[in-house]
Formats: sequence, structure tokens, C-alpha cells
Amino acid sequence: MLRSLALLATAVAVRFVVRSGRRRRRHARVEHLLTTLEHAEELAGVGFWEMDVRSGALKWSEGLHAIYGTDPASGAPDRVAFFEMVHPDDRRAMRDVFRRLSASETVVDITFRIFRRGELRWLQARAERKVDRRLGTDHFLGVTRDITEEHRKTEEIESHAHELEEEVRRRTAQLDATNRELEAFSYSVSHDLRTPLRSIDGFSQALLEDYGDKFDADGRDYLQRVRAATQRMGRLIDDLLALSRVSRSEMQARPVDLSALAQQALQELREQQPERQVECVVAPGLTATGDPTLLGMVLHNLLGNAWKYTSRHSTARVEFGAREENGQREFFVRDDGAGFDPAHAGKLFAVFQRLHRVDEFEGTGVGLATVARIVHRHGGDVRAEGAVERGATFYFTLPGERAR
Amino acid sequence: MQVVQPTRGPILLVEDNPDDVALTLRAFRKNNIANPIIVARDGAEALEWLFCEGPFADRDASEAPSVILLDLKLPRLSGLEVLERIRADERTKLHRVVILTSSKEEDDLTASYRLQANSYIRKPVDFDEFIHAVGQIGLYWLILNQPPPRV
Ligand SMILES: Nc1ncnc2c1ncn2[C@@H]1O[C@H](COP(=O)(O)OP(=O)(O)OP(=O)(O)O)[C@@H](O)[C@H]1O
Ligand SMILES: [Mg+2]
Repeated sequence: MLRSLALLATAVAVRFVVRSGRRRRRHARVEHLLTTLEHAEELAGVGFWEMDVRSGALKWSEGLHAIYGTDPASGAPDRVAFFEMVHPDDRRAMRDVFRRLSASETVVDITFRIFRRGELRWLQARAERKVDRRLGTDHFLGVTRDITEEHRKTEEIESHAHELEEEVRRRTAQLDATNRELEAFSYSVSHDLRTPLRSIDGFSQALLEDYGDKFDADGRDYLQRVRAATQRMGRLIDDLLALSRVSRSEMQARPVDLSALAQQALQELREQQPERQVECVVAPGLTATGDPTLLGMVLHNLLGNAWKYTSRHSTARVEFGAREENGQREFFVRDDGAGFDPAHAGKLFAVFQRLHRVDEFEGTGVGLATVARIVHRHGGDVRAEGAVERGATFYFTLPGERAR
Repeated sequence: MQVVQPTRGPILLVEDNPDDVALTLRAFRKNNIANPIIVARDGAEALEWLFCEGPFADRDASEAPSVILLDLKLPRLSGLEVLERIRADERTKLHRVVILTSSKEEDDLTASYRLQANSYIRKPVDFDEFIHAVGQIGLYWLILNQPPPRV
């Protein structure tokens, strides 16, 4: 922009030169050129000025008068009148421009403010000293543009960006505070909430061991129940802590071999219950992008469930695979076990929600909530399909992975 | 044949919760661990005993604990602070310290090992498991492990 302005400035300089020149024969062509230039000036929203360094004579173009809101008929303002229009805070910079122009033949740029009949305007100007030894002239030339609108927009954008930044900072601070609170809370839960449970269980065990003969069968049964409930509470606390850790932990984004993680999880389940007859099918080469630890927890929970909810059948089949659904890749864990009533499928992923009684299948109801939270943190989704005694399938997506 | 002699020095148990003290002592008994057991009820008391200060000024300073069982969450001086002081002092820096605590929060584990804890054991809710864990501690730190030579 500035370069083309400089070109126009030179052209207009020619105009002044021509006007004051003597080549009358070419007057008509020159007049045409001048009109064109005036149009160009108007189109570009620019104005030009020229000052004869020796005589001090100053000329303003029509366009420049329009920018300053001055009357072309009264000619260019004198120095005093000009500086009067310049914003007081910008006058020193303006004086500096003239000083630099006098000192050398460099191009000088300035952005400054004026009062156009009392209204504040932002202007951008470029000026240069042109010495033509052949013609024997020495001029300051300048081109000026009104940038008030651009300036206002830039300021608006900047203030908007600033507001956004402020908002982000405020929210981050809030989030940090909440996270710190959550940290402190979890820390206290993991230390303090378990301590009394150890006492309850420990002293119940001591009673059973040291005074067992003083209780009848019922008494011993009650104590066993106290211990069982205590240990269940301990497990609940641990599961809840694991769930909250899922939200608190920092997440990595790495390529993860889901097939390998699934194999590993199934291997562990098999080692815990080698007597079970379970056919395990893992589709090879399934990978995703995400946090290896968290995705491992997803597969552990889903395959653990498949393993658990098939345990009432003499033989079972557990499968990990993937399929294409609406152009999106969906991973799934499928089993042919107890299944569930699809009417309650919506509850599955909420904390502590169970569709089976503890005496049917043990558990705390935190596993699927953990799965959902991890998948959501990866930007994916989970859903479940099932029917009573017809098995269950759990689907999840990990959008980090592009469907292939 | 070489007879393995259990390390006979006292066990220093740093634990503020009286229930946990009673249960830990019971677990020692169940595992036939016969070492004398000194119980410090908070971090400051543990340091006084270790450095023979305050009420323990007359203690035989040459008697080093065979193992220190250190809870992390203690009133006033935390377990980690106690561990830091143990590691910073010439007299105690080679002592074997086993963290015995409720939490398995990652931060606690990292901080403990950074301060050169020798082991980290989480107290299970299930007392049978706890007895087993204490048995393991006794077997390893009092029998199998060769202590550093005395200086
Ligand atoms: N593969 C499955 N087949 C049938 N029902 C299932 C299956 N997986 C989950 N469910 C149902 O969803 C409920 C919630 O599952 P979730 O994994 O959250 O808890 P849980 O397995 O009961 O306990 P835990 O917290 O130990 O995992 C279960 O109680 C069960 O009723
Ligand atoms: Mg589960």
C-alpha cells in the first residue's frame, strides 16, 4: 500500500511540476492526466502535498483538503495553521518528520492524529525529499491517507482480543482453583477416609480371632459382615479416587496399540481365573491416538466386565474389534453373557449405577463411569447395546483416530 | 553353614493414630517379630528419639533402629519432612525407612522415593492383607537384607 502511495505521490509531483512548467503545447494532455490523477486520488482516499524547499511554497491537492476538511479555494494552510490541526501529542513527531526530510533524501513515515473541524481523525503519511538536478528543483513530497476507520477496527479487534484473553485468564484461574481444591479433597479422601475403615476391619478381625469362641455362629457371621462391608467401602473409595484421577491426570496423545492392550487385559483375567472357559477374540492391529494409561483402563474395565458378566455361563466368548459406522471407526467389546435390560441402558455410565445385584455379580458401579469419562476426555463417545441373557456390546469412538 | 540372624535393633514406628499403632503391634506379634518397638506419636518425637534430644537425651546413641516405619500424614511435622531430616543428617542418613501409609497418591509416592525412602507400602483396609504386608516387611528388612556396616 505504502509503495503504491509513493508512486502516486511521484505522479502527483509530476502534476505540480507540469502545472508550473511551460510546455503549453501539451496542455490538453496534461489536463487530462490531472483529471485522472484527481480521480485516482479520490478513489484511493489519499491526498498529496508538495513544498518547494527553497521558496517554502506549499501546495495541497484537492484530496488532501478533503482529508483535512479545509477549503481548496483558500489554498494550503501555512505552517502555524497546519500544526494547529495536528493533535498536540503528535506535534513533536510531526516536527521531527520535517527535520528528517531536511537532513537527507530518505523516505519518512508517520501515523498521527488531526482534528478535522474538531473531529479526531487518524492519518498515515509518507514523505520524501526529491532533488532533481536536471530541472534544478528541490521539493518535499508527501502522500497522506485517512486511516480512521481501519484504526477503529484494529482497536476494536484488539480490545476484543484483550477481553477474550482476560476471560481466558479468569476462567483458567477459576479452573486452577477448582483443580487445587479437588486435589486437596482427593488427597484427604485417600488418607483420612480409609483410616477408620482399617480400624473397623482390624478390630473385627481381632475380635474374631481372639474372642471367636465367645460368639455363637450368628455373632461371628455379623462380624464377618462388618468386615465385608468395610472392605467394600474401601474398594468404593479406591474406585472413586481412580475415577477422579482420570479427570485430574494430565493426558498424553500418542499412538496406542489397542489390540495389544486388550490382549494384555485378557491375559491378566485369564491368570486370575484359569479355570474359566472363555474364547477370546482380539482383532489385530487396532490402533488409536490417545493416552496409553487411560486407554488401558478403558479396555481393562470393558473386558473385565465382559469377563465378569459371562461368569455364570459354562463357556463364553469375549471379543474386541472395530467397525465402520457413518464413516467413523467404532471400537467395541462384545460378550455373550448375562446382558441387561436395554430399557435401562442409559443408566449404565453413571457412577454407582448397577443393573445387577451384588449377590449376582460383585462390583461397585464405577467402572463404566470411568470408561465414559476417559472416552469423553478423548473427544469420543460411548454407547451400549444388550438384552437379558443375550450378551452385551459396548461401543466407543476415539476421534483422534481417522477412519480408514 | 551360616545362620541368618535377624537384625536385633529396635523398630521405630512413627504413627499418630492409636488404632493404627495397636493394629501394627498386633500384626508384628502375629508375624513373630520380636524386635523391641519404639512408637513415636508424631514427627517431632521421632526426630527427638533419632537424634537423642529432649526426653531421649540419655538414650544410647549407638543403638540404631533396624527399620523405621513412617506414616506420611502426621500432625505438625509431616512424614516427608521427617524423612528429609533423616536423609540430611550424617548420623541417620543410612537408616532404612519404609513408608507405611494410607494413600497411594502418585504425588506421595514420587516425593517419598525422591527423598530416598527404601520402600513404600500402602496400608490395606483388609487387616489380613495388612498382617501379610507387615510380615513381608519383617522378613525383608529384618532378616534378608544386609544392613550397611556400622561406622
Ligand atoms: N458386559 C456386561 N454385561 C452385562 N451387564 C453389564 C456389562 N457391563 C456392565 N454391565 C452393567 O452395567 C453396570 C455398571 O458397570 P460398571 O462396570 O460401571 O460397574 P460394575 O462392573 O458393577 O463395578 P466395577 O466398578 O467394579 O466395575 C453393571 O453393574 C452391570 O449391571
Ligand atoms: Mg465393571
